[in-house]
Amino acid sequence: MTEPLLALDRVTKLYGDQIAVHPLDLQIEAGEFIAIMGPSGCGKTTTLRMIAGLEKPSGGEIRLRGARINDKAPWDRDTPLVWQSLALFPFLSVVKNVEFGLKARGVEAKERHKRSMKWLERMGIAQYHSRPVDALSGGERQRVALARALVTEPEILLLDEPLSALDAYLVVRMQAELKELQRQLGITFCYVTHSQSEAFAMADRVVIMSQGRIQQVGRPREIYRAPANRFVASFIGANNMITGCVRDVGDNKAAIETPFGVFQVNRSPGQTVRAGDAVTLVISADRLSIGQDDVSGPNCLRGTVIGEEFVGAVMTLHIDLGADTVFRLQLQQHALEQLDIAQGQQVVIGWKPEHAVLLPES
Amino acid sequence: MRAAGLVTWILRAYVCLALLFVFAPIITSFIYSFDASRYAAFPWGGFSTQWYGEALADPAVASSFRNTVIVALLSASLATAIGFAAAYTDYRYKFFGKNAYLALALLPPTIPAIILGLAMLVFLSRVSLSGGLHSIIISHVVYAIPFAMALVRLRLSQMPADLEAVAWNLGAGQWLTLRSVILPFTLPAILAALFLTMAVSFDEYAIAWFVSGFSETLPVHILILLQREVSPKVNVIGSVAFIISMTLIVVAQIILFARAPAKTRGRSFKTGS
Amino acid sequence: MAQHAQYSDKESVPPASRGKASRQEASRVFALAMALPMAVWQCVFFVAALAFLAVMAFWSVQNFRVVPDFTFANWVKMFSAGYFQQTYLRTFGYGAMAAAISSVLAFPCAYGIAFKLPRQAQRLVVACLIIPYFTSYLVRTFAWKILLTDNGVINAVLGWVGLGPFSMMSNLFAVMIGYLTLIFPIVILLQYFSLANIDRRLIEAAHNLRCGAFSTVFRVVIPSAKIGLILAATFAFILSFGDFVSPSFLGNNKPPTLSILMVDAVKSGSQWPRAAVVALSMIATLVAVAFLAMSTAYSREGRR
Repeated sequence: MTEPLLALDRVTKLYGDQIAVHPLDLQIEAGEFIAIMGPSGCGKTTTLRMIAGLEKPSGGEIRLRGARINDKAPWDRDTPLVWQSLALFPFLSVVKNVEFGLKARGVEAKERHKRSMKWLERMGIAQYHSRPVDALSGGERQRVALARALVTEPEILLLDEPLSALDAYLVVRMQAELKELQRQLGITFCYVTHSQSEAFAMADRVVIMSQGRIQQVGRPREIYRAPANRFVASFIGANNMITGCVRDVGDNKAAIETPFGVFQVNRSPGQTVRAGDAVTLVISADRLSIGQDDVSGPNCLRGTVIGEEFVGAVMTLHIDLGADTVFRLQLQQHALEQLDIAQGQQVVIGWKPEHAVLLPES
Repeated sequence: MRAAGLVTWILRAYVCLALLFVFAPIITSFIYSFDASRYAAFPWGGFSTQWYGEALADPAVASSFRNTVIVALLSASLATAIGFAAAYTDYRYKFFGKNAYLALALLPPTIPAIILGLAMLVFLSRVSLSGGLHSIIISHVVYAIPFAMALVRLRLSQMPADLEAVAWNLGAGQWLTLRSVILPFTLPAILAALFLTMAVSFDEYAIAWFVSGFSETLPVHILILLQREVSPKVNVIGSVAFIISMTLIVVAQIILFARAPAKTRGRSFKTGS
Repeated sequence: MAQHAQYSDKESVPPASRGKASRQEASRVFALAMALPMAVWQCVFFVAALAFLAVMAFWSVQNFRVVPDFTFANWVKMFSAGYFQQTYLRTFGYGAMAAAISSVLAFPCAYGIAFKLPRQAQRLVVACLIIPYFTSYLVRTFAWKILLTDNGVINAVLGWVGLGPFSMMSNLFAVMIGYLTLIFPIVILLQYFSLANIDRRLIEAAHNLRCGAFSTVFRVVIPSAKIGLILAATFAFILSFGDFVSPSFLGNNKPPTLSILMVDAVKSGSQWPRAAVVALSMIATLVAVAFLAMSTAYSREGRR
């Protein structure tokens, strides 16, 4: 096995006696787009800053191409960062901002300018090169920040919530552009975000963090379909959960007893549960089916429609099951129209045994 | 008329009265610098620029003015440079004994200048450094560092938190970052500090009087004139110095405001006011 | 290799790291280069000077020359002398009086600026109050001499309305005018800044509770601005207590203050050790006053 581009080996960070990052292992391969995602305060930005050398790890080892870089000064690493605040130099023009990294490496003035202009052209903002940075729009400043970080042609680019200051319509466009840029350059992007849609839209692999620990690492689809624990299941949203305990264990099935009835579920390979174990059932909102008085399959529930959210072609229904439990159910607009369901109406919802995920209670 | 409105107008009139008190001596000195009479009596002895002629032709005034400019320029430059480094230290580092460090920086102006002057005289003559322009410069730097440091520190606290780290992240070492990020960002404060410390040095008489020996500065010259006689030259020197100071401040403001829109728009920097 | 970044046309970019010189070492050199100049300068010239002044107070004068010694003679001589005791009390009284007068006279002014003027005018007045500090205090003192003399401007104006002439020079009145010249603008400014920071809703609340304008000032405004008001008065005291110019030129050196005693000891005799004793007692007084004032300012409710 060859050494990955970047390896974090039991890296920890303490502030006083506060633990910001628990011993953390992570391998980042050359050329991949990896997203680190989690709620604020989960340690994702701290991890990124440790990679850039702006925070010193309290323990563990960070290796770039197999070489330990813990003690390297931030200016001795090639780990440019695109900042959440963008942090462009307010006293420099656009092109001088981009030139900065080359100047720091002693590249001669004419050459510096040439290369910076090339990147500005690539970003489509070459016409603004002599402007002060605060004369640009949010999207343009974003591109300046990218050009500034990429002008030294690093192997890895760190991005710290770079789209959080942009308007919603720009975010989607920039996501596509970033992904395309990463594909063209073939370098590693390490992208920190709290936004599920950003992470899932761009990343090859997603790392989910909470309270200083990695909760799950995987492809977006894996995480979406098979959350590793309750935190992930609830964090990535659109998941419904019921707790219960195992009643029967079959070959690759199990029956789970819950306050809402007994449900059949498929066990994932290698998962061992015993009768009596406390478990959580996770059913994704888009895996639920709905009918006016009955749905096919072994798992069904009665409830009342108490609300609906309308997002483009997809509807989310809120269905009250009693006992303070509300399920969310997503379906296509046209499918809902055929069903003719109104607020306050009694409905039956159900799901297939293979579409529920069984999580042991921890 | 409501009582509240009356109170408002009384208070406003009082503010004007206070300003009159503050400006009365400045205006008086200006008016009497053109008085033909030697004894500054009332009424005026008639308009004359005689004292301007005499003051400007006076070699003692000329040499003390030259001394003042030398002292002001050198002590302002030194104090600003040292104050800048100390402000950066305070901004960037946490260390044991930092409170003592800051006290060391900020204490001198809280000691009455006359006492500082005595201490400087006693000490500098002991180490054979008294009695020259260098003695005044040394003392004025001690006195002016806090002003420079405070202005630069204020500006640093307005700096976006990540700006310095950005430069490091892009491969710039600490010295290059200092030169290419911290200096340009604090430039308005550095200029303001230069002007302010120059003004402080330009008007300082007590310390200079004690340590200067025979190298008088202009304020020391005025002090000596005041002790000796009633000389209309004092009004002339005061008026000219006032006009120079005001011009410097206005020019400094214009420089700062002219820079502001192009460089750091919307974040205009307060110059000590 | 595929490992390498596929930039459209890869340019040669020098690596960021330059040299392997120990980074800890380089960082320490940088930090020291920033921190040391001030520390060294103030230690060598400021702390050393004050320390030497303290030492000097124990030296003696023989044949008009200061010689190293360790004697309490200077202290005994000064503290037992009636004129020193009187001068000390007088100077303290002058300072306290200047602080009280300036605080009382400045308050309506600061209040008027903060609450009765539009923002633009407030800024203008603040600028006007800073201007005097860019003019020579000496020259302003001299101008007061012109205004206050027996046949000066003020007496002439008073004469038109049949008053006076008053003797306004070389007395306590003149000395106080001099002190005010020095401290009045800064006292107004400090009071103004603390008043401007009061939460307006507090005052409106007081009015809603039918608190009259005057009692609002005393019950709400002054307590809220307490720290700033005490700070302003302390500044006034410190500046007047150490001032030499006003008692000397407007008070005509009679009666003397501590600063005049000190200057006399240096300039007309080489009684440096005794001057040092005076200076040290002044410093001790100022430190004590500043400490007392600050602990009063921040007493009880520990809010800012």
